[in-house]
Amino acid sequence: MRNEIELEGIIEDYLNGKLTEAEAQAFEQLRLTDPSVDHKVVAHKVFLESLNDYAAVLDLKHQMNQAHAQIDVEGLSKKLGPHPSFIVNLWRKNKAAIAVAASFILLTIVTIYSIQQTTQQTGTYEKLNKEMNSLRSSTNSLIRNVKSSHSVKPNVNPGKFGGTGFALSSNGYILTSHHVIEKSDSVYVQNSKGESYKVKMVYSDPVNDIAILKITDSEFSPLAPLPYSLKRTSSGMGEKVYTLGYPKDDVVFGEGYLSSRTGFNGDSLAYQVAITVNPGNSGGPLLDNRGNIIGIINAKESNSDGAAFAVKSKYIAEALNAIPQDSLVRRIASTKKNQLQGLKLTKQIEKVQDFVFLIKVYK
Amino acid sequence: MSNKLSSSVPTDREVVLGILNNSEEALNKLYTGYFPMVLQFILNNNGDEDDAKDVYQEGIIVLYNKIKSGNFELTSKLKTFIYSVCRRIWLKKLSQNSRKTKDVSDFDDIISVEVDLEEHEEKDQRFEKMQSALLNLGEPCKTIIQDFYINNLSMQDICEKFGYTNTDNAKTQKYKCLQRLKKLFFQH
Repeated sequence: MRNEIELEGIIEDYLNGKLTEAEAQAFEQLRLTDPSVDHKVVAHKVFLESLNDYAAVLDLKHQMNQAHAQIDVEGLSKKLGPHPSFIVNLWRKNKAAIAVAASFILLTIVTIYSIQQTTQQTGTYEKLNKEMNSLRSSTNSLIRNVKSSHSVKPNVNPGKFGGTGFALSSNGYILTSHHVIEKSDSVYVQNSKGESYKVKMVYSDPVNDIAILKITDSEFSPLAPLPYSLKRTSSGMGEKVYTLGYPKDDVVFGEGYLSSRTGFNGDSLAYQVAITVNPGNSGGPLLDNRGNIIGIINAKESNSDGAAFAVKSKYIAEALNAIPQDSLVRRIASTKKNQLQGLKLTKQIEKVQDFVFLIKVYK
Repeated sequence: MSNKLSSSVPTDREVVLGILNNSEEALNKLYTGYFPMVLQFILNNNGDEDDAKDVYQEGIIVLYNKIKSGNFELTSKLKTFIYSVCRRIWLKKLSQNSRKTKDVSDFDDIISVEVDLEEHEEKDQRFEKMQSALLNLGEPCKTIIQDFYINNLSMQDICEKFGYTNTDNAKTQKYKCLQRLKKLFFQH
């Protein structure tokens, strides 16, 4: 035991370099001859190194803890740490994923949009006033002159542009589309019998595409009471409708149904009507099968057949309010009952056609 | 997104020379200078302030040992070295706790520090072995050993401190303690 304590003391001194040179040499000799001593030296060396490292690290940790105590960790955390907001964190951590998702969504939107584009009404909006073929119309008017020789005012100068209009009152107020008489020099109306009367414009509303004309001709004799009435409320889809108009020099009947509550590209001023109309139908009345005027034909879509547009009748009522009320004799009624109700379509047409006029415009 | 670290940081040369000369001030400057960088990294990668402290201190120990070993060459900035070491240590801890280690938010350049860390791990194992051996040694052996080997007290001091009648008794006691400690240390 004592020997071993002595030995360890020597080993320690040897490792720490405390032995004299002679002692060290003697000890190294001992190591060479006695492997057990050599083993003890090596083991003790490793152990002492470990212990020294341990001490050093412990010391270092102590120093670092002191340094750490000087740091305002909480303040730094607030500045450097992740944002407390969940959203911001999500954004910071998933920037890449969000970017991918966003571009995917963008791509999808673009794709859907381009698909929708093709389903939109791409046709252009074509107003239905008619540029008359002058040769043909002069022939027609000649024929009409022969037929109706009693016509006081034979119209030698044929109209350049034409449209349709209909009576708003017995004393010659006539409603048509604004675009029909736009920029006109003079305007005449011609009834189904071929009689022409000069008119003047008394009201025009380019926004709603409505114009009101007044027959100023002294030859004009008041009309019978109007057979139709004006519907102020809007009509539903699928409503059977018909129109009378002058796409040619004689009145032409067209029938269809109301296909949409909005007009071209969602225009809420108008209805879309599935009806075959042609240039010249502009300004024509759109009637439902109970004899109510529900709109004024004013345009069609150029690319597709049977998609026409009609200004809603409530704007007619608004236009009527712009006319001095006492000047309207036996004006159009807005009652639900009228002369046409319950009549067969052919009878209705027969009655209505006397109140529908060809508008002839000279520019 | 990298926040500028505004704390004053000593030059790399200052740090190396300071550590070689056991300068406490140099260590303090080093420690306070780069802690925010590591804190930022840990906080933004699923860690908290305590994690940051542990990882950073381990990183500084790696640097300290590397400088002390004498074969330290400034091949990169100290900042990059510390960051890379701490990053590696933290990622390892994360994967040990099977927390996600993908999508690491980085705040600095990285260099390869695998060799340094392998060395460090060996040393760390020995450190822990020694720590647990000392812990299992019990009193008064633990204090005697610590006083003699760590605090460099003489046998005479120890003899007085523990009330041994003579230094030989103290030596015998120390010898017994040391044998037990060696046994504990080497048996693992």
